[in-house]
Amino acid sequence: MAAVMWIEVLSRNGEVAARERIEASEASIGRAFDNDVVIDDPHVAPHHLRVSRGEDGELVAEDLGTLNGLFTEHGAARVPRLSLAKEPGIRIGRTILRVHDAAHPVPAEKLLTPPRAHARWAAGLGVALFVMLLAMSWLNLTTEPSANHLLLPLLGLITVIALWTSLWAVLSRVFFGQARFALQLRIAVTACIALVLWDQLTESLSYSLAWRDIAEYGGLGAWAVLAAACWGHLHAIGPKHMRAAMGLVVALIAAGAMLQYFGKSETRKLVGQRATLGDLRPPVFRMLPLASADDFFRKAEGAKQKVDLARVKDPLPGGLLSEFDPSD
Amino acid sequence: MSLRIFLLLAGLLASIASHAQRAAPAPAATPPPALSTAAERVYEMAKPRILQIRTLLQAAGRQSSLGSGFLVTADGLAITNYHVVSRFALDPRTYRLEYLAPDGAKGALKLLAIDVAHDLAVVKVERAGLPFFDFDPRAIAGRLPKGERIYAMGNPLDLGFTIIEGTYNGLVDKSYDERIHFSGAINPGMSGGPVAGNDGRIVGVNVAKSVGGEQVGFLVPAKFAAALLERAVKGPPLVIDKAREEVGRQLDAWQAVFYESLKTQGFRSATHGPYRGLESSAPWMTCWASTNTDQLPKPRAAINTTRCSSATQIFVSDRILTGRVDLSYSYYKSIDLNAFQFAKELSQRATGSGFDSRGGKRLTEQECRDDFVAAGTGAHPPLRVTWCMRAYREFEGLYNVTLLALTQDRSREALLAQLTMQGVSHANAVALGRRFLEAIEWQR
Repeated sequence: MAAVMWIEVLSRNGEVAARERIEASEASIGRAFDNDVVIDDPHVAPHHLRVSRGEDGELVAEDLGTLNGLFTEHGAARVPRLSLAKEPGIRIGRTILRVHDAAHPVPAEKLLTPPRAHARWAAGLGVALFVMLLAMSWLNLTTEPSANHLLLPLLGLITVIALWTSLWAVLSRVFFGQARFALQLRIAVTACIALVLWDQLTESLSYSLAWRDIAEYGGLGAWAVLAAACWGHLHAIGPKHMRAAMGLVVALIAAGAMLQYFGKSETRKLVGQRATLGDLRPPVFRMLPLASADDFFRKAEGAKQKVDLARVKDPLPGGLLSEFDPSD
Repeated sequence: MSLRIFLLLAGLLASIASHAQRAAPAPAATPPPALSTAAERVYEMAKPRILQIRTLLQAAGRQSSLGSGFLVTADGLAITNYHVVSRFALDPRTYRLEYLAPDGAKGALKLLAIDVAHDLAVVKVERAGLPFFDFDPRAIAGRLPKGERIYAMGNPLDLGFTIIEGTYNGLVDKSYDERIHFSGAINPGMSGGPVAGNDGRIVGVNVAKSVGGEQVGFLVPAKFAAALLERAVKGPPLVIDKAREEVGRQLDAWQAVFYESLKTQGFRSATHGPYRGLESSAPWMTCWASTNTDQLPKPRAAINTTRCSSATQIFVSDRILTGRVDLSYSYYKSIDLNAFQFAKELSQRATGSGFDSRGGKRLTEQECRDDFVAAGTGAHPPLRVTWCMRAYREFEGLYNVTLLALTQDRSREALLAQLTMQGVSHANAVALGRRFLEAIEWQR
């Protein structure tokens, strides 16, 4: 049987705009109408390219002596000849083509998500989040209970989630063609649940281990959750340009996290730590064994060494009261 | 909130004298004619012996704070408050001292000795053969009768030299520092001025007044001034560039004596609901109690608080007051809060009192250590403890320390205890801190 090849002309968005079945052993491509595949690109020569089978049956593209030449899909160097066995994409002028052999492997069939599955998940998770937050604000309630007090922050959160999801749905509609609101919502709600759990985990651990830095710097973990959520959203939109977009998102999030970290460490350096017991939990949450008074005061020596060091490292200038403020 | 008497050092306000002048009060009232003879006589005698002491900004050559002083020897030694000369003592390159006598004479002043704890200083006028004040031996021996008329002098608000008639009311009760209670109107700018009896001999030195009360003034007893004068005459003079070290040394010595005296006075155990905590037996540790049971809306946890304070206060510089110890206990009992809500309520309340903020960069940043501690066995409940400290940048070995402890034996009632110490050595802080933790007990 004569081997069949498929030539795909891609649109600017990377979708397949035309797909030609070629049953001959070679095909000519160009702007002229006597070609097998006609391309309307002013930067393509009338007879630009010939795709043929080599001796071993491998597909090869050849430049027919043109002004703008032949390139691999992402390459910057002009090539006279190109083997298509491994890399099916070629660029001529501003047009991207892909040439596939009939034997070109295709990915396995993807399982169809049952209709409304994402919507159901999103609803379920949404209810879970709502109940969780309600329970949390109930446990943190120390004043008189009031419905407003409990529900108003929840309403705010629902608005934020709706806006966030809509934003991703719009992006998805633009780049993927479908809004997939339910899927985006599911991702957003999952991220929120993860955030709440992370927050509770760090606060509780900070109490249980009497280690205030966990709560202090736990907020940095929230940025990781945010990054994961963005990855999920982008992945749902489609894998195209995923790496570039993800790079941008990760860079932004890393910048945010760094800013927060430096803000905190600067406060730490200027003012130091606050004299507080932190976010307390019922005593059963304690995980550390009890220290003896001796152990504790030995540990507290660490604080002394630290402030002594700060004193030596950063002494006051000679003029103790040199700033002039008669109004004091 | 407990009632407190806030002392305001008169010299502190000297620099806002211009504001007061703008308000243009009537010139210092002349005493009523019936009493005038004695006051006239005292002022006539005191006039060549009193001084206005100005701290000038080197660069501008203008006054930055004002106080008063008085001559005590023929070769020009004069007594004033430490806080009147503190800017110069701590920063002699930015400031200089100058005196102004009632006869209009002006000149430079040398700082010879300081006593930070009693807020006194000895300065020297470069003039010889001056008349001077004697100390009243009855005052030095503490044998002055209550109700005796005494006369405070100085230059209030830079309005001119003034004499004010008042009453000697003995030493202030419940005070660690010996202070004479003077019933009379002393004002900013009079700091360091003399207070003399009928015969013109020195009883005390103006130092502060109460902001909350009327005509409640405080004097440093003459005996401390006499002691410092003796030290200034006999001892080596203060090297001005080393004055800061001297201040540090005196603060350290003060706290050593203070904490020793706290120990000697003894401690007892005080009841806070079903818990017990440390209380000092020292008469000068004054305690106040408060409750939230009468609050509206009805509180969801009952809180009974006892606060004890030494009310000691040492002026070091415009930015640093130090030397106080506070002990506070709050017994919390949940009314209808569950264990989580109760813990939340405690988290919101368990923040150290912020009397550190004034120091700003003069103290290092605060550093804390947290842990769960068993301060003893048996009736000693487990504690959640936080120890925080800041060091004084200018004075080695002195710290502000906050120790917070919360009982962890019940989920719906707890004792929140807090100990704060200003200007304390590490050893003294640890000793008192340990005693404080070990005294927390469950008594039922």
